[in-house]
Amino acid sequence: MNIFLRELKANLKSLLIWGVIVILFVSEGFAEFSAFAGNPEMLAILDQMPPALLAAFNLDAFNLTTIAGFLGVMFIYFALLLSISAVMWGSDIISKEERDKTVEFSLTLPIPRGRLVTVKTLVATVNCIGLLIITWGVSLANAAKYQPDSQFYSFLSLCMLALFILQMIFLAVGIFLGCAVKHYKRSNSVAVSLLLGTYFLSIVSGLDKDLGFLKYFSPFTYFDPAMLLHESRIDITFVWLSAGIIAVCMFGAYVTYSKRDMYI
Amino acid sequence: MSIIEVDNLTKYYGKARGIIDISFSVDEGEIFGFVGPNGAGKSTTIRLFCSLIYPSGGTAKILGKDCFKHGPEIRREIGYLPSEVFYYDRMKVIDLLKYSASFYGKDCTKRLYELAEIMDLDLKRRIDDLSYGNKKKVGIVQGLLHQPELILLDEPTAGLDPLMQRNFFKLIREENEERGATVFFSSHILGEVQRMCGRVAIIKEGRIVKIEDMKTLQKDNYKKIRVTADDVDEKRFDVDGVRNLEKDNGAVSFFYVGDINVIMRIISEKEVSDVTIEEPTLEEIFMHYYE
Repeated sequence: MNIFLRELKANLKSLLIWGVIVILFVSEGFAEFSAFAGNPEMLAILDQMPPALLAAFNLDAFNLTTIAGFLGVMFIYFALLLSISAVMWGSDIISKEERDKTVEFSLTLPIPRGRLVTVKTLVATVNCIGLLIITWGVSLANAAKYQPDSQFYSFLSLCMLALFILQMIFLAVGIFLGCAVKHYKRSNSVAVSLLLGTYFLSIVSGLDKDLGFLKYFSPFTYFDPAMLLHESRIDITFVWLSAGIIAVCMFGAYVTYSKRDMYI
Repeated sequence: MSIIEVDNLTKYYGKARGIIDISFSVDEGEIFGFVGPNGAGKSTTIRLFCSLIYPSGGTAKILGKDCFKHGPEIRREIGYLPSEVFYYDRMKVIDLLKYSASFYGKDCTKRLYELAEIMDLDLKRRIDDLSYGNKKKVGIVQGLLHQPELILLDEPTAGLDPLMQRNFFKLIREENEERGATVFFSSHILGEVQRMCGRVAIIKEGRIVKIEDMKTLQKDNYKKIRVTADDVDEKRFDVDGVRNLEKDNGAVSFFYVGDINVIMRIISEKEVSDVTIEEPTLEEIFMHYYE
């Protein structure tokens, strides 16, 4: 409990900074939407654009002049923001002890290393949930003035569930890298590169049917906002795949961290 | 009973040498010195005891338990003072010490305040506002507040002013004599090891070159002899067992090892005005092993 509270306090500032980023980003997004809302001319302009371009920005599956359609387009940006924060929290919460050289204190206390990983994972999870709630709240507050229908609300809830799973995947990846990478300086950069890599993979996988198999390698394609909106469901295959990735990462984190030399 | 038992302990960092085939044991209630220059492997050995790093070979037992299998249990009985202390910067000293105390499953509050008093530590300040020496004081209090059975000191006096060094050594002596704590004292400052330790191991490039009682080490070693006389001829003293023969200011000084009667006869052959015979300091013995 003592570790939990100390870590929570130490990570509060980071949560607040990410919170402000998300609030600014979402509010800015909705400000843009006010230009599209119920505007048929906008649709005409979009119709003239090349289909590949529309597909790249996910504009083909959604009617941008409705609030739900707008949210569908915004989904990937929410996903990116929340995933980056999650992967960085994961890797940082482990590796910072080596960076700040506090391992010589924290790991000479009479607790197993595994317990430290567990507690730190819990704290990072709390941070992720906090940021998700902020995202949810700001979205609700900004959407309210467009008097959205119940379909929007259930779509928003599904989006948040999908975002939460994405956060957990990248948090587990981050924790694993923080635990497994011997040089703390590398774990953060590897984590973010990996995340951006899978993001580009998600774009590439959408460009050509033959590259469709790539979507299994990119969590960003696991939850298609078009399916969330039009079919109101999450593809259960990818929920299992996500759970598998999380389990493997956490198992790897415990095993490597318990047996490796600390970098002092 | 042996508190520390080390058997052929070896650690390589990739290809770089840490320590090689180190074996020794430290008995309960001892103050054991571990002497060597920077990079000889002192910190590596202590970090292995704390299972911060894992060995490439050999075993280390503390209180009869394997360091690498029973890490958490062993660390409960260890007080570790690293050569440089790093704590969570944004915490207050008192919060950090209470945090540390909370892991030992007993009430350490009284001892915490006593130690802070002895080390003249300001508990209300934030860690990142502290000087190097003051951080070290926090380290001392944190390392001792749970009254550990084994105290591991890694170059403990660096950064402490002479007054605090004196308090610190007094404190360690009390821990040892009154509470019976065993002390493993690593240092390259030989004067303090000589003052504190009963036995000492000398480590050189990752290997132990000598483990000996401090007294035996000094006795069986060179004597430092200085002879003052009018018109002294240093060639007279150039016999077997004499080294570092020097003449300065009407006096001859040298190190001597061998039968003391032989050298006494040579000294008394002619009139002398003064003779001093000293046991060598640990420093001089140490230099001998490092030549």
